Amino acid sequence: MSLTTVLILLPLVGAALTLLVPAGNRDGARSIGVLIALVAFGFNIAAFAKFDQSRGALQLGDRASWISDLAVEWNVGLDGISIWMTLLTTGLFLLAFIAIAARMPDSHPRALIALLLLAECGLLGVFAAGDLVLFYIFWEAMLVPFALLIWMWGDRTRGRAAASFVIYTMVGSLLMLVAILSAAFMAKGPNGTLTFAIADLANHEWTQSQSTWLFAAFALAFLIKLPMFPFHGWMAGAYSSAPLVVTALLSAVMSKAGAFGLLHIAVPLFPVGAEQLALPVGSLAVCSIIYGSLMAWRAQTMRMLVAYSSLAHLGFIVLGIMSFTSIGAEGAVLQMFNHGVVTAAAFAIVGIIARAKHGTEEMDQISGLAKGAPWLAGIFLVVTMAALAIPGSNAFAGEFFILIGTFERHPVLAVLACFGTAYAAVYMLRLYQTTMNGPLDGEPKKAELRGLDVLYLAPLVAAMVVVGLWPAAVTRTTKASVECATTAAGSLGLVTAEGQPPRTAPITTELLGCR
Amino acid sequence: MIGTLGWIVLGLPLLGALVLMAFGAKEPPKRVTQLVGCGSIGLAFLATVVAFFSMLSEHAEERTHVSRLWEWIDIGQGLKVDLAIRIDQLSIMMMLVITGVGFLIHLYSTEYMAHEDGYRRFFAEMNFFVFSMLLLVEAANFVFLIVGWALVGLASYLLIGFYYDRPVAVAAAKKAFVINVLGDIGMVIACFLLVRELGTLDYDQVFALAPQFIPAGGGVALSIALLLFVGAMAKSAQAPLHTWLPDAMEGPTPVSALIHAATMVTAGVYLVVRTHVLFELSPLAMNIVAGVGAFTLLMAATIAIAQVDIKRVLAWSTVSQIGYMIMATGLGAYASGMFHFLTHAFFKALLFLTAGIIIHALHGEQSLDKMGALRKPLRFAYFAFATGCLAIAGVPGFSGFFSKDEIISMAAAQGTYGWVLFGVSTLGAFLTAFYMFRLLLRVFHGTEPEGGYHGEFHMSGAAMTVPVAILTVLSIIGGWIQVPFGWKKVTDWLEPVVGGIPQKVNADGTLTAVGHVAAEPSHNLEVITISASLAVALLGILLAWYIFANGPERRLRISARHPHLRSFLEDAWRFDEVYDETVVLAGRASGDGLRDHVEPKVVIGAGRGVQELFSDMARFMHQIQSGLVRTYAVALMAGLAAVAVIFILVSR
Repeated sequence: MSLTTVLILLPLVGAALTLLVPAGNRDGARSIGVLIALVAFGFNIAAFAKFDQSRGALQLGDRASWISDLAVEWNVGLDGISIWMTLLTTGLFLLAFIAIAARMPDSHPRALIALLLLAECGLLGVFAAGDLVLFYIFWEAMLVPFALLIWMWGDRTRGRAAASFVIYTMVGSLLMLVAILSAAFMAKGPNGTLTFAIADLANHEWTQSQSTWLFAAFALAFLIKLPMFPFHGWMAGAYSSAPLVVTALLSAVMSKAGAFGLLHIAVPLFPVGAEQLALPVGSLAVCSIIYGSLMAWRAQTMRMLVAYSSLAHLGFIVLGIMSFTSIGAEGAVLQMFNHGVVTAAAFAIVGIIARAKHGTEEMDQISGLAKGAPWLAGIFLVVTMAALAIPGSNAFAGEFFILIGTFERHPVLAVLACFGTAYAAVYMLRLYQTTMNGPLDGEPKKAELRGLDVLYLAPLVAAMVVVGLWPAAVTRTTKASVECATTAAGSLGLVTAEGQPPRTAPITTELLGCR
Repeated sequence: MIGTLGWIVLGLPLLGALVLMAFGAKEPPKRVTQLVGCGSIGLAFLATVVAFFSMLSEHAEERTHVSRLWEWIDIGQGLKVDLAIRIDQLSIMMMLVITGVGFLIHLYSTEYMAHEDGYRRFFAEMNFFVFSMLLLVEAANFVFLIVGWALVGLASYLLIGFYYDRPVAVAAAKKAFVINVLGDIGMVIACFLLVRELGTLDYDQVFALAPQFIPAGGGVALSIALLLFVGAMAKSAQAPLHTWLPDAMEGPTPVSALIHAATMVTAGVYLVVRTHVLFELSPLAMNIVAGVGAFTLLMAATIAIAQVDIKRVLAWSTVSQIGYMIMATGLGAYASGMFHFLTHAFFKALLFLTAGIIIHALHGEQSLDKMGALRKPLRFAYFAFATGCLAIAGVPGFSGFFSKDEIISMAAAQGTYGWVLFGVSTLGAFLTAFYMFRLLLRVFHGTEPEGGYHGEFHMSGAAMTVPVAILTVLSIIGGWIQVPFGWKKVTDWLEPVVGGIPQKVNADGTLTAVGHVAAEPSHNLEVITISASLAVALLGILLAWYIFANGPERRLRISARHPHLRSFLEDAWRFDEVYDETVVLAGRASGDGLRDHVEPKVVIGAGRGVQELFSDMARFMHQIQSGLVRTYAVALMAGLAAVAVIFILVSR
């Protein structure tokens, strides 16, 4: 068994283990959660240490026949993009388990831990799958625990929120299932062999209309999951209803599954279709940026401000992917990591601030906490600056590369997106200033950072600082894989956009070891 | 060695800031704060001086030192950015001012801020500012220029909002930050263009490649220059992005002196000088730069006349003086712009710090209406302030005379457009002398205010007076390094950086000059311009004396005669009102519209529609359900197959 297989199955085993714990035993459940998450993170670090960053293909994985009648394989492995996504997943889940362990809810502690572990398993599977059916299975496997997490531990609107979450994502994923089956059968032809392996399907030459339709189906599923304007109808309900830890995971980790699918599956498998739809999808991304920013500016609760700012930030990520330039897509991967880290910290701070007044998240209820809670104010300032992507922050590096890449292909979209960064300053400072500055309202003593908060925030802030100073730490790992993912679509665009071959010879995907 | 010193100069203030921040909620003893806060800047100044002298001993052409720490990013396609600094004649000049004047202002603050809460926080943020400003001028590529550019904005935000329990200060801080983000966006887009055209963001490469690959006078050259200039306008408070600077006076006075007068707000001048190759590729952009500078200097000077808050007068005066510098750079007179930056740093820091002594003495009073006849009780402040006024008004012998006069002379030498700018800047010089002496006379001469002062005067100690005394001396002698008809130390020093014309290498190996060198004024022309500016300066002083020297009667009579003009100037030409009623209002309204209508009704409503469709289907299914799992499975498979077939047919 390879490292990747172990990594994926570990949370599943952990979820099974929780069944051995007697119901209502909070200590047992919480120690399993933290322990499994810790071991998974350790395995992930080990995988990172063994990772060969010069290769673009999946590595450290297994490929074995699984359901041979249906040609489905157990085909898992990590590439430069997924290694960072799994690190984000195992890291943030570990922090989430620690945060939950400190404040276990009274209802169904065992189920809570089991569902979170299942969600982690699903996400890791999505990031490591090398086979479309396997990808689909994990994709659905992650939906169920998240929906249940909202439904069982959400606030009073949880029923409606969970239902709308399920229906939205089901519409997308059923469409994706159809597209997966269609793609495999179209690629097989009359007498070929059936395969769902992503690497094999990428070699198939689709007609332009096949490619476009298939891309559209995949992209829709991914854009709903992210979410992206105008498919974000489930977001407000789910994010506001779920417990804050779950909201943070939805936004920081689960959204990456959508972005990852776009970059890792939709664009490399269907480059022609991606090129056809680059402008519409890119325009939606810019709409998301502007729409999310305006909504964040006028949001009434801290949580929804962060939620809508997340909508805007995800717009940047999609924009970078749809630029099909290596710099834009590398910026997107960097930003996927950054967004996870920053959003997780931002939601955590919302929870911390809410302590100042009996858990209220209304923005006009709390102000002036800086006076009694200087550490909170200081750390929150760092997170605010990262969230508004001030030059020098990790998010700046990501957005800067994304926009350089976008500017090469769609200058107008890049310039419009730039104004999103101005909005970001407006809404993030609104959040910071209304809560931290002005006359005191609330109890800063209760909001000041404590040991557990520091344990949660310190690794996130450290990651922000390191990536801000040295973004190459991430991009040098992702480079080969990103080029594998975007070269096909990127070289197409250069030819059609300028009517002449690209200035630099396209690096052939074989050369990069993509297969 | 100079490269290493550059990193040390950069590192010391950062270290100081981090050490002070690390105290968190615990307020360390004042001594510790002072030692760390001032010590780090003092040592940085010493290191800069050492670097400066070792640079002096080098050959003029070999004074550029690039030092890199690590590779920040390498994206293939040739785009590679290092964390690197570049010390040359231009950056060392800026560094000397930043650390030197910075140290004096830090020293001054040890006493000025002694009675305030947040003593440690103040020095931490000031140190952070100095670090950011040094990064801005030491950066070796556009990325770290922008990083420094944004971090000084952050430092400025923090210090404007230093009294963060005052809503006015908080609002002013946000305004400054947001307007500066707009400037950042301009610079970032300029970088996109540079990457697209040249594939690099490194200074040396950009300046070498730009004349070869960017057509001179073309749209790309114009766009790059103007986008960079948007950044300069925001940071240097040039119209129409100037409205944040007067509000920034909500910060403590030493902040106004260091950040919003002597150093940060002149970053725009530095930017244009640093990237002058890009500006010279577009003569139109140069003319726009000069025009914006000229408009700003005149507008701000008129506004300064009508302000009653001592710090706001100085703020508008800063806007106006930076207008001179920007105009100079737009004319291609880079050394003149930098010279004025140098003298302005001295006399404007002096004026602000002296204003601080006055405000301190009057227990925080800033209104001119509550001042008057202070020359006897505040004798030291009077002499210092008068020196500053003489310098900024351009009275011969004082530093401002040499630098401002040079800009005015350079303008006159640049053809027809130059003559227009000469007219504007001469008028500006008249207004400058007038509003500065209005300020001087209303504070120190005339009669005591009605109702008297707020109790006993609070006299300043040595930590405040010594820096002011040093700046007084510098405001007098600082101009003598560059003297008309005499020596040109600043111009000679900067010659290797800003002199010469960008050359384009033609296909046959010959060189074509792109851009132009600003024409030097002739001897006679210089005599004329000096006489003119001298005359208007004296006229301004005399007029101010006539109106303001004896009590308020005369000025009240005059202002009562022009109520509309007065309120127009008091309201600073009403830029703020226009922005509030257009940009801000529109943004807020559209955001509210989305929140209250589009999101609930359209986005979520559509989802709800789909949901209801599903529940209708479910009801339908309820009727046909048989309970046989087999039937369900068949139906499910059939459904999926049907969709798949349709899909394959459609996408064929």
